[in-house]
Order: sequence, then structure tokens, then C-alpha cells
Amino acid sequence: MATINATININSTDLTSNPIALSKTMTMTKAGTRTGLEFTSGLVRRKLTSQTTIDLVTVGAQMYGTPTASKANKLYVKNTGSSTADYIEIAIGDSTGDPAPGEELLATAGASFITLGRLYGGEWMLIPFEGTTDNDIIVTPSTSEATTIEWMLFFE
Amino acid sequence: MATTTNTLLLESTDLFDDSLSISNTSTCYKAGTTTGLDQTTGLTRLYATSVTQFDPFPAVKDATNRVKNGKVYIANLSEDETEFITVSIGDAVIGKLYAGDFLWMPYSPKASLSSDIEITPSVATGMFIEFMAIHDFANIYPDSIDTRVYPDA
Repeated sequence: MATINATININSTDLTSNPIALSKTMTMTKAGTRTGLEFTSGLVRRKLTSQTTIDLVTVGAQMYGTPTASKANKLYVKNTGSSTADYIEIAIGDSTGDPAPGEELLATAGASFITLGRLYGGEWMLIPFEGTTDNDIIVTPSTSEATTIEWMLFFE
Repeated sequence: MATTTNTLLLESTDLFDDSLSISNTSTCYKAGTTTGLDQTTGLTRLYATSVTQFDPFPAVKDATNRVKNGKVYIANLSEDETEFITVSIGDAVIGKLYAGDFLWMPYSPKASLSSDIEITPSVATGMFIEFMAIHDFANIYPDSIDTRVYPDA
């Protein structure tokens, strides 16, 4: 087992009339245990140069292993750019299918997705990763200018 | 405008032969600008005593919110490692947060009926959950109950 710690700090002195100073640390453990996650995709770096939608993180067997679905897997994604105008849009579902995916309607299995949100330059996210069928993580850049994304999956 | 920063530290000394250390800090800006997000739900602390799915934030009703750059924080404060919450958006399961886990994710609700974030506790024996959205959404407040029309009214 390994010990992987993630700490988030959210701070603001003027979002509300009283300061916000939130700090939370989690140790990534296997589902239902105190044993640490021990597998990872490694830190993946991809450069996208079109506005084409891609499956950034796909479920099932991968070169780095096979994440077990419905466990305590965690996914980190960062838009490494610095632009406050360009972004990547993150969705969950499946970007492939015929007919074309029906956005925001996941009920049609295998050909649809639901948008989580945007990561502008420098922004990151850390979410659990379910990894079940048709639950890929999908990315669409807002620009055809080079956009570099880093991501890392921690799994069991 | 407000200035809200978020920082992530990802560290491990034994996941690899070499140490892992990732550090990121960003500022919560409105979409496409350097103007800070200026609204928040506040940090809610909820004691859930049912396995019934619930929406931690009101349904987002305004179509303009689809292009916003909101952020969401959710944490499972349970100390029992077997307890988890399942976090979903619409019909899509994002994943499970076990005891002590948190998530930080962007939130641009594209469809008022299928972009709602949902939480489902795994047990009904009581579990503390925290959540907060930082955003600039329009019209996310619930309808006043006085404006609803009921069949027996």
C-alpha cells in the first residue's frame, strides 16, 4: 500500500463578510478500508490542437492497468495553460456513438454525456472516478490553439 | 469582485520509487475574465440520516448558467471507512467519496433538469456531509412556496 495525501485549501477574505479559510486533507484509501490506494496511471500530459471532443480517461483495461469500477478511485485533471479566455470543458459519459452523442442526456447508454464544467488556464479538479461502462471522462477544448492537459488517476 | 483562491497539494513518498509532489493554486474567476466569482452557497454541514438521494444545491433554472465557471466542493466527514456517499450529476455517477474524502470540481450547469448534482448516502445511521458552491449563477434560489400551485389549492 501507499500513502497518498491530497490537501485542499480554499481561502477568501472578501467573498463573504467574514473570511473563508477551509482546509481539508484526505488520504486516498481503498473502498471500505484504511488501506491506501496503490495504483496510478502516472501523470499523463496531453497536448490538444483542435476543438474535437475526446475521451481523456476511458474506463476498462488500459496500458497502466484496469481500474476497478465503483471503488474509491480518484482523478486529478489540470489545464496547464494560463489563459483566462480559453478553457477545456469536462464531461462524463461517452463521446462516441451513432447517432452523435446526445449531450446532457445520459439515459441513452453509450452515446451521451453530461457536462461537469470548465477548467480555464491553471485550474484543476479532483474528483472520484466511478469507472463504470460509458462513464469516460470527456474533454472538449474551446480553442484549436495548443492546450496542454495533465491528468492522473489513482485507483484500485 | 471577490478573490477566492484554491490550492491543491498532492503528495506521496511511497507511491513511486521517487516522491510525488504536485502543487496547484488558482483563483476562482468568472468565465473568460479575471473578475472573481462573487456568490457562494456558504459551507453547508448536513447530517444525513437516510439513503435517499438529495440535491445539495437548488436546481439551476437560468439558461445563462451553462456558460458560467462555478466551482463545487463536497466532503464526506464520516470517520467510518465503510461509509460513503455517491455523487452524481444527472444520471451520471461521478464516483464515491468514502470517509474523509472530498472533491473539487467545475460546475457549468447546461440543463436545468439533468445538470443537478446529487448525493446519495450509503447508510441511514447518520453521516455528516459538507458542501459549498462558489459561483456567479443567476436565479438559483428555490421558488417561493407561495407561488406553487397544488391540486388541492
